[in-house]
Amino acid sequence: MLLIHCPYCEEARPEVEFVYGGEAHIARPLDPSTYSDEQWEEFLYIRSNPRGRHHERWRHTHGCGRFFNAVRDTVTDVFETTYKAGEARK
Amino acid sequence: MVEIAEIAVSAAELKLGTEPVAGASVTLSHAAPRARYSLRARDAKVLSDVIGRALPGRIGDQADGAICLGPDEWYAILPEGTAMPRGEGLPVSVTDISSRALGLVLEGPGALGVLSSGCPLDLGKMAVGRATRTVFETVEIIVWREAEDRWHVEVWRSFATWLWNAFLAAIPGAHG
Repeated sequence: MLLIHCPYCEEARPEVEFVYGGEAHIARPLDPSTYSDEQWEEFLYIRSNPRGRHHERWRHTHGCGRFFNAVRDTVTDVFETTYKAGEARK
Repeated sequence: MVEIAEIAVSAAELKLGTEPVAGASVTLSHAAPRARYSLRARDAKVLSDVIGRALPGRIGDQADGAICLGPDEWYAILPEGTAMPRGEGLPVSVTDISSRALGLVLEGPGALGVLSSGCPLDLGKMAVGRATRTVFETVEIIVWREAEDRWHVEVWRSFATWLWNAFLAAIPGAHG
């Protein structure tokens, strides 16, 4: 079973306790009413989808309930690191 | 024509037991009725002052029946009828959820094995007195290790019948 280190619980916990939350570090528009259709398309739908290192959000749903960020390799499925939401990109 | 075999047990036949069930080296029973509160606050100090109780700071710790589930969330299991101030006007949430969950107790040297039949955590490494939210199969539970061989399991009421029967199935020699 895949174990994921939760930066809030400070423990490695089984994957079934977690829910994947999509790509991380996508900032919400600060002034949505000024956004053009192209900017909305970019914000809502365009994702990097890399082969290799991927920054993504996870939520420890059946644990502490917190969202956090993780760096996972999309080829090997290995978690490089996890860190709290709000911390700088690693 | 295709013959469809009847399933062994239908959901309607599952019953939530009321009497304790003893199997080889483990007993399954209901915990006494409790008052339960969901406590939320960004600042634990404010919440602690409102309810007049100390709150554990580390996730998974338990003090006086209050379990720290997350950085801003506590779950209090208190004697039945315990009231709590609501903290109106303050940035805290104190919610009475006494009827939302039931407490089941697994006791005996075999209890760890029964829990481990469906819980993916390494519960053998859990220190006595610690508690955590986790899952049993796909059902969310809160596990609290009250003593070396005594485990208190909180489960939402609507899942209790299923969990009771799942525990029964994992207890060697038990018959519901």
